[in-house]
Amino acid sequence: MNKKIRKAGLASTAALLALSLAACSSNNNGGDASPSASTGASAGASQEASASPARDEYTIDVFSMLSNFSGEQQGWFAKVVKDKFNLKLNIISSNLEGGGDVKFNAMMSSGDLGDLVVFGDDGQKYQDAIKAGMLLDWTQNGLLDTHGKNIMQYAPKAIEKNKVNFGGGSKVYGIGFDVGEDKDGPSEGKDLTYHPNLRFDLYQQIGSPAIKTMEDYLPVLKKMQELEPKSDSGRPTYAFSMWKDWDGNMMMNTKAWAGLHGFDETDGFSNGGFTLISADKDEIQGVLDEDGYYMRGLKLYFDANQMGLVDPDSLTQTFDDVVNKMTDGQLLFTWFPWMNTYNTPERLAEGKGFALVPFEEERTFSYGFNPYGGNRVWAIGAKAKNPERIMEFLDWMYSPEGVIVSNYGPEGLAWKKGADGKLELTDLGNEAFPSNQTPIPEEFGGGTWKDGQNQINNTTLKMTATNPETGDPYQYDLWTSYLAKAPNKLEENWRAAMGGATTAREYLEKNGKLAVNKQIFTGTAPELISDDLSQKQSQVAQVIKQYSWKMVFAKDEAEFDKLKNEMIEKSKGLGYDDVLNWNKEQNEKTFGYRKQ
Amino acid sequence: MEPVTREELKPARSGGILSERYRLFLYALPFLVLVFLFSYLPLYGWIYSLYNYRPGFKLSDTPFVGLQWFRSIFANPTQTAEVGRVMKNTIAMSSLGILTSVLPVAFAILLSEIKAMRFKKTVQILTTLPNFISWVLVYAIAFALFNVDNGLINKIMIGLGLQERGINYLATDNHTWLSMILWNTWKGLGWGAIMYIAAITSIDQELYDAAKVDGAGRFRMIWNITIPGIMPTYFVLLMLQIANFINNGMEQYFVFQNPINKDHIEVLDLYVYNAGMLGTNFSFATAVSMLKSLISIGLLLFANKLSKWVRGESII
Repeated sequence: MNKKIRKAGLASTAALLALSLAACSSNNNGGDASPSASTGASAGASQEASASPARDEYTIDVFSMLSNFSGEQQGWFAKVVKDKFNLKLNIISSNLEGGGDVKFNAMMSSGDLGDLVVFGDDGQKYQDAIKAGMLLDWTQNGLLDTHGKNIMQYAPKAIEKNKVNFGGGSKVYGIGFDVGEDKDGPSEGKDLTYHPNLRFDLYQQIGSPAIKTMEDYLPVLKKMQELEPKSDSGRPTYAFSMWKDWDGNMMMNTKAWAGLHGFDETDGFSNGGFTLISADKDEIQGVLDEDGYYMRGLKLYFDANQMGLVDPDSLTQTFDDVVNKMTDGQLLFTWFPWMNTYNTPERLAEGKGFALVPFEEERTFSYGFNPYGGNRVWAIGAKAKNPERIMEFLDWMYSPEGVIVSNYGPEGLAWKKGADGKLELTDLGNEAFPSNQTPIPEEFGGGTWKDGQNQINNTTLKMTATNPETGDPYQYDLWTSYLAKAPNKLEENWRAAMGGATTAREYLEKNGKLAVNKQIFTGTAPELISDDLSQKQSQVAQVIKQYSWKMVFAKDEAEFDKLKNEMIEKSKGLGYDDVLNWNKEQNEKTFGYRKQ
Repeated sequence: MEPVTREELKPARSGGILSERYRLFLYALPFLVLVFLFSYLPLYGWIYSLYNYRPGFKLSDTPFVGLQWFRSIFANPTQTAEVGRVMKNTIAMSSLGILTSVLPVAFAILLSEIKAMRFKKTVQILTTLPNFISWVLVYAIAFALFNVDNGLINKIMIGLGLQERGINYLATDNHTWLSMILWNTWKGLGWGAIMYIAAITSIDQELYDAAKVDGAGRFRMIWNITIPGIMPTYFVLLMLQIANFINNGMEQYFVFQNPINKDHIEVLDLYVYNAGMLGTNFSFATAVSMLKSLISIGLLLFANKLSKWVRGESII
């Protein structure tokens, strides 16, 4: 099957290559022709392909520090990019290639960060890359003005922020993600980035016990596991299946519990370290604080492991493995609603699936709307051969059309325009969304929906912002047509149980369980850590990560305590307090900015 | 005779522009260049330990910090303990490696005693093959055998009712050194035996025939002929291994490392990698890696002393 797809892909590539070569020899234009009008709905993919691309096929290296996929972009998104820009995306993922900063360091040393670069934050790495001259200044040769019309139209403040914060007031080296509207309140759609999701059907079957603290989930999950010990394919079920490839300064899956209490590693401005900062209050916790959420999270996982609720593979698997387990039904809990790949239309219709089961003390971290863009940055490498073509591609992704197409595919595949000009899902869309293994017709690139999704893993405009072309938000589950659909059985059950709230966000907002992090504009770049502290931070981070995992899998309480003391002692010995104090200083500054 | 030879050589000498001394030097030159390129030039990299180096910048653009990174290894007791832990692992793994270096000898002897040629060849091929598999693939095999959900071992154990649920065998810190040496032995046994098999075949067959006439049995022959026959080879290889004591590589430990076994699996090379590449601290990692040279010099002096003591003459 796979081979066939690849073969077909090759054949069509060859044909297109021949076409483009022919075109090139006749009019010999390098890169000055602009792509088809950037706004307005894209025509069907096949139609565009026949309007032979006038430019050479060109493979760009997309170095993404957020991607969980490594290799050439496949499937429908590859086809879209190919047809529209005659580009191929070779995705380089630092998560998968060495982990940590290995790939970044190697690429920095080689003096080339690739063509399109995605930074996980705007801290050290981004600022180093600017200082070392690895990133292209978009104001050079009017690149942004000529090829970045959509960016200037839809994200002017994000450009302004980058100019002021990172470009000395005149240069632009990148643009933040999730550029939203200028308004208050949570920016999320139906779901938050974090909130506890349980297999709702099982939770109801055991009698929907009340949950007050985060620790109260354990007995509930245990009962659910007893009720459903095996997944669809007969594998054992677990409450917590974790992965370590996203760990930075600490164990990410443990940090998630802080997120559920309104604390996160970033204060919305300074970059992460060893503090957990409240989204909306002037409160700071150290990671190693005995009564802090991080330590509580570790204890919770330790207890869970003693109860047989933790997947023993957690230590050795990657995020992708966990998603597969989720799809198969091996999981009973997730911190992240966007991971609900178990919720296929068939299962939802049966009333099976994941949904929010809040706890009384919950205060979920919510990211406010941010017209300045978040701290995950898109940039262009200084050595990019055809920066104007990369700029055009990026600019397109910052257009309403680009947002829709790069997330939901070309018109006619998963969505279509209704009579009122608003968008609605096709049958295929209903089946495939959010990311199911639904087969895609050959003319749209073949393969499956999931494998063909945009693998760069960074957003451009905020998905919940309003699409000026339709008046609806970009996100499909907020479209008028989608909201009008009759709720599936799971939704019906959930809504009935939650006192009439229609979405998780609505419930959390109404019940005061949100901690909204208002976005700020400071006019300065986040301060960089000194080399001495940075060395301490990296060593302490390794200790914290290593011991956190060991503690979760400790044999007994005595070993857990022993490891905990060792972790604290070792971390402090390596300079934890120095780094923590520096982090706190930065956080206090942010609290000051918040009040301005 | 001698004068005649000289006479004969003279024209050749006068024919060349260079004297014989220089000619010999020129013969050796390519190798000297190689030694310079691969053994001395890399020493230039030590300079990174004196700066706050960050990749992407020119060294001259980064601040010079003198011996700060060296001091930081010893200034902080926790840091010193970390380096101590890493050295302990390095020495332990290397010592175990030296202890197990007799295994290929035993294996070669056993192999040479097999009379059925077909079986012998098959065994030899099967045991040599793992040497050509990279450590990454070895880990893939280990993962396939030991992972929780689909691992062969877990399936068998659960199937037989010996364990209740899956156990993550790879994520344990019990006997880490031992299991590493076992993997190492599995991978290198057949390959290590090749040299000894060659040595055994070169032993004069007449010795065995004579021993047989004298009524020696198999074990007698092994003990009195085979073992003494391959001892010189063994000692040469052992010496080379001791010289490589500190270089136990990192691939194997890199692929097998996880948070649980990290305390015991992190050897010096791996620690340097983790500190430099993962932790982005090249300068500090360079400083730590220079410890290796210190220890090597120590080993050399030790071997020299030993040689003086045993043989009465030094090697340097």
